[in-house]
Parts: sequence; structure tokens; C-alpha cells
Amino acid sequence: MLRKLIFTLFILSLLLGTSIVSIGQDGAMVEFEITQEMVDASPYLQSVIPRLDQEYDTSEFAKDPPYRIALAAQGTSNAWSALFDAHAYWYVEELGEDLVSEFLYGDAQASADIQVPQVEDLLAQEPDALILVPMGAAALSAPVERAMMQGVPVVLCASAVETDNFVTEVGTNLYSIGATLAQWLIDTVGADGDFLMMTGIPGTSTSDIMEEGALAVFDSYGIELLDKQPGFWSPAEGKKIMETWLAQHGDEIDGIWSGGAQMVQGMISAYEDAEMEIPPIAGGEMQNGFLRSAIEHGFQFYAWMYPNAMITICIDAAIQILQGEPIPRFIDFVDTMPEARPFTDAEAEDYYRPRWSDDVHGPVTMSDEALAELGFLVEEE
Amino acid sequence: MSVAKPYESATSAGGWPLRLRLFVANYGVYIALLALLLAATVLTPRLYDVNTVAVVMRQASQLGIVAIGQTLILLVAGLDLSVGGIFLMTSIVVADFTNGRDELVIPAILIALALGALVGLGNGVLVTKRRVPPFVATLGMLVLVKGATQAYTKGVPGGFVPDILGIVNQSWFVLSIPLLLWLGLNAVFIFVLRRTAYGRKVYAVGSNIEAARLSGISVDGIRISVYILGSCLAVASGVVLTGYVGYVDRFIGTGLELDSIAAAIVGGTAFVGGRGGLLGTIAGVLIIQILSTMAVLMGLDIEVQFIIKGLVILGAVTLYSLANVEE
Repeated sequence: MLRKLIFTLFILSLLLGTSIVSIGQDGAMVEFEITQEMVDASPYLQSVIPRLDQEYDTSEFAKDPPYRIALAAQGTSNAWSALFDAHAYWYVEELGEDLVSEFLYGDAQASADIQVPQVEDLLAQEPDALILVPMGAAALSAPVERAMMQGVPVVLCASAVETDNFVTEVGTNLYSIGATLAQWLIDTVGADGDFLMMTGIPGTSTSDIMEEGALAVFDSYGIELLDKQPGFWSPAEGKKIMETWLAQHGDEIDGIWSGGAQMVQGMISAYEDAEMEIPPIAGGEMQNGFLRSAIEHGFQFYAWMYPNAMITICIDAAIQILQGEPIPRFIDFVDTMPEARPFTDAEAEDYYRPRWSDDVHGPVTMSDEALAELGFLVEEE
Repeated sequence: MSVAKPYESATSAGGWPLRLRLFVANYGVYIALLALLLAATVLTPRLYDVNTVAVVMRQASQLGIVAIGQTLILLVAGLDLSVGGIFLMTSIVVADFTNGRDELVIPAILIALALGALVGLGNGVLVTKRRVPPFVATLGMLVLVKGATQAYTKGVPGGFVPDILGIVNQSWFVLSIPLLLWLGLNAVFIFVLRRTAYGRKVYAVGSNIEAARLSGISVDGIRISVYILGSCLAVASGVVLTGYVGYVDRFIGTGLELDSIAAAIVGGTAFVGGRGGLLGTIAGVLIIQILSTMAVLMGLDIEVQFIIKGLVILGAVTLYSLANVEE
């Protein structure tokens, strides 16, 4: 609720021209200013901000349980999505067949090309609701429109589409996350620092929106980056680029902004090979491999969370819609999962789980037994 | 039977003077490499720092090792897209089998080599015995191998990469293990192609398959063997990449399959087989890697990097086409 209050204040203060946004708490508190110019320049903010204050009247979708819910997921592509799916199946089982009688699943293999026809296939099975993890904002807009026209309410989960014709979106304000990471770097190093920026996959909305937020903050301080390159959310690409940066800029580098923890793992490896001290890095996540490396190498970082467990909130939202209850048009997972908040290196030990395998992204709501069954727990020595 | 320079057999004129066309066809890639290095002295002088040279050579080695196999396959008029799947498979085998234990690295590599050879055998058999076009056969194999690895890992590659493989990240001046491996493998295969009966048969099969068959060469055997060699070299590259990254990355080596084909083509190896060689491929690999590093040093956007890479490939193909020594 604290976050909702902050955003409400943010909207009100926009009327005065600027807004101070505070994200995090305790040692990880970061404040930055969002100006009207930033909002004017960002279609994402223009879409999200009004929806923070809107509710969708879902009475037209109301029906008696049990429900048939379809999930068009990112699918078999990485550990994040594997745990996302695992959480989905686990949660549906917890809810019981009296509430969810059938759970239809589509595996997009992280590809919009695969997902578009897959959504059509799912809709052909006439589900009561569709939960979609969009693999492309533009490509998935038409399928979302078709679902709504067909009378199937759509819950967007973890990412956005370009159309506004859906019931609700579960996620977080990615623009603010990107901006927060940039602001933390500036607070930690100083506005006169020399910074590098490594983004995710160009063209994917998650990466582009975070980048947009970060650049807006860097620009507001008049900071010119040493360089900005995409690392494709890959440790290998992250390392390759970092090696070249180290050869080019060496000790000049005061701080690095990263769009994902996977790439930070590659950066750490490059620094380790070069036997150089790692500067502050903004862009860690609660990913066990990243945390293990960060603790081993002891550098300053700022991490955020994008919990795969948010699918449980998406499923709850779908059920709420089918029960005819009004629902907010934007649900920030932090309101429901307060533990999914940003943190810094000072708390690394608290978030590291020795028994989790390197690829687990937290926070996890499943039991250790369920994680063990999925192969995400390492053997205790 | 003797091994020709890539375009030594050209015989007639038309368009450009024959000597010029032969010169471009045989030495164009080296001149392009030289021009690129000269341009770098102005555009990105930092490319010549020892550290940058070490980075370029280490990264070029990863591409270079797989490009050796790709060149061999192109020489018999083949193509191998399945190497992308082999990188991932190798990474998973090494991490999963060893689970971080150094003493199990050799058995893990042998298992990966055996699996790689099996993939190569499958490619070769499909192309030779079933007459499946190489593009289709190896694309199918790529999907099959990636599907099998996903089925095995359920989308979550596990295990740990043994610390000993971190040795691929060590550099001594500009020398590194991947570079030495790349140079060593090049030396071996250049010798094989130029000095052995097997090498001459590879060129013969690629130049004229029917003539080779009539000469008593086991055409299918040669073609299958180069697919197996290509897959085993992809495993070697996969091991280097795994040590380089230090994690099991689902996207490991993504793009190297196409870059390796590009390096061989830019280096003068003909798509239709029978012409080209590894010296040209070395130059092609260096051009692609140096361009990539220069782009980062110059802070070029990724879109521009792709455009430059595409232009270089198209430029090389166009130049070889203009030289048109077939006429």
C-alpha cells in the first residue's frame, strides 16, 4: 500500500510539474525526480500512470467456479521462466479443482513468433480467462484484442503490450526501476562519475523501458555515458563486452548500470580475469548465482527483484475477475509481496540461500520439497 | 592430384582482367584485413593495446575453432547449422556430468565429443545417404539437439562448471589457451588439407563430386567424415566457451554458427565447395572479430554493428562474384 500511496502522491505532484519518487527502504532507499518532460516523452509512463488509479468493472466476466484458465507463458527458456511455470502449477494445485478445474498452458520458448499462434490455439479452447506473459509488446497486441473481443478477460503478467484493451497488468513500474538503478549509481559514485550501461535484449519492452528510465535520470544530471551496449541478458555477451570495455576504459570506470543479473555475472568474470577491482554495479537481482559471486568478490551493488512467483498474483487476479470483483488496472507485485523490494550489498548475505542452485530467482513461495523435486536445491555437504 | 590455391584454376577473361580477378579472389581477404587494421590506427588506436589484442585474440579463437570445421564442411559443398546446438549440449554435459569436479573434466569432454560425433554422423548420413540438402539436414539436427537438451534439462541447465576450465581465461601477453588451441588446430588441419591424401580428396569431392566418385574416392565417406570433424570442433569450441563464461548459459554460442559460415565465406571459401582454405578463414575470423571489437570501442549502436557486419559479408560475396573466376 505504501507504494500505491507514493504513486498517488506522484500523480498529484505531477500537476505541479515534477515528482519525487522513493523506492526501497532502509539502506536501499533511493529517491529520484520524474519531471513532466519525462512523462511526456514516455508512452510507457503515459499508459501506466493513469491505470494506477483505475479499476476495471469485471461484472461482464462473472461466472461460477470451477474455472478454466489459460496461461500463455514465456516457457522453456531459462531458470526464471521454469520457476515461473513451477509456481503456476504449484499454485493451481493449491487452489484445488473446485476453483480451477483446468489449467491450459502454452510454451512460447521466449519467442513472440511462437506465442502469437499459440494464443490463438489457447483461445480456440475457450478458456474463461487468459493470463499472458507477452513476448513482444507490438506482436501480442492483436491477439490480446481478439481475446477481449471473444469475451475472454486478459491478465498481462510480467510485461506489457501496446494496446490498452485488457483487464489488468501485474508487474512493476519498469521505468522507475531503471531510473532507480541509475539514481543509486549517481548517489553512490557522484554525478561526475564515468558510467557504462549494459541493456538486455533491444526491442523487448522490459529492457527498453528500463533503459528509458535510466537514460532519463542520467540525462537529468547531464551525464554522458562512456558507452552503452546490449548484453542480451547473457553472461557470455556480458563478459565479451566487459572485456572490451576494460581494455578501453580500465580504471576510468566508476560505475556500471546493468539491465539484468545474468550480465553482471559475466562482468564479474571479466573483472576477475583482469584482476581489477569491481566498481559499484546497479542491476543485481535476487538470483542466487549473482549473490554468491557478489558475496565472494565483495563489491557495492544495488539489486531489484522481478519475482517469478508473481504468477500467483496473476492467477489470483484472473479468479478475481471471474468472480466479478472490480480489479485495479495495474497491480504492482510489491503491494502483495513486500519482500520483493530492492536491496543492496549490505543485505546480500540475508538474501543468499546456500541450498538453492545458482539459477534460482527469489523470492520463492514454494516449499523446499517442491524446489527439490524440480532440481533447484543443491545437495547439502 | 595437387591442392590449388583457392582460385588457381581460373582460365579465362571477361570483365575485369584475369590477373586482377585472380588477385582479388586469392588475396582480397588479406588486403581487407590489412585495410581494417590501418583504419583502426585512426578510428580506434586502442585496438593496438596489448590488453585489447589479447581480448580480440581470445574472442576470435572461440569463433575460429568452430570456423575450422565450418570451412571443412563448406569445402565439400556442405553447411552446418547444428553447431549452435552442439555448443549448448557441450556446456550442459560438462556442467552436469562434472558438477564442478575438476577430475571429471576429461571424461565429460570425451562424452561431449562422442555425442558431437554422433550429431555429425547424423548430419553426414542425412546429407549423403538420404540426399537431404545440408541446410535442411543440419537445421533439423539443430532443432533436434536443442529440443533434446531442453527435454533433459527441463529448460533449466544445472550443475557447475569446473574451476579448471577457467584456465581458458588466462592470458600471457597476448597468448591464451584458446588462441594456442586455435593456432594448433589450424596448423594440423592446414597440414591435413595441403599435405595428405585425405585433404586432396576433400577438395576433389567439393570441386566435382562425380569426377571424384569416378576416381574411386569414397565420396560419402569423405563428406560424412568432415561433418563429424566439424561437430567435434564445435564441441572443442563449446568447451572453451563454457570455461570462458563459467556458467551454463542457455544462449551460449548463439550466433556463432552463422558467424562461422560468414568467416569462411569472407575468407574466400566457396559456398559451392572445392575452393578456399583455412588461411583465408583465419583472416575472415579476424575481420569479423576486429570489426565487432572496433564497434564497441567506437560506441556504435548494436543496429549499426549488425549493418556493418552484413555489409562486410555482402561486400565480400559481391567482390568474389565480380572476380568471377569460374568463367
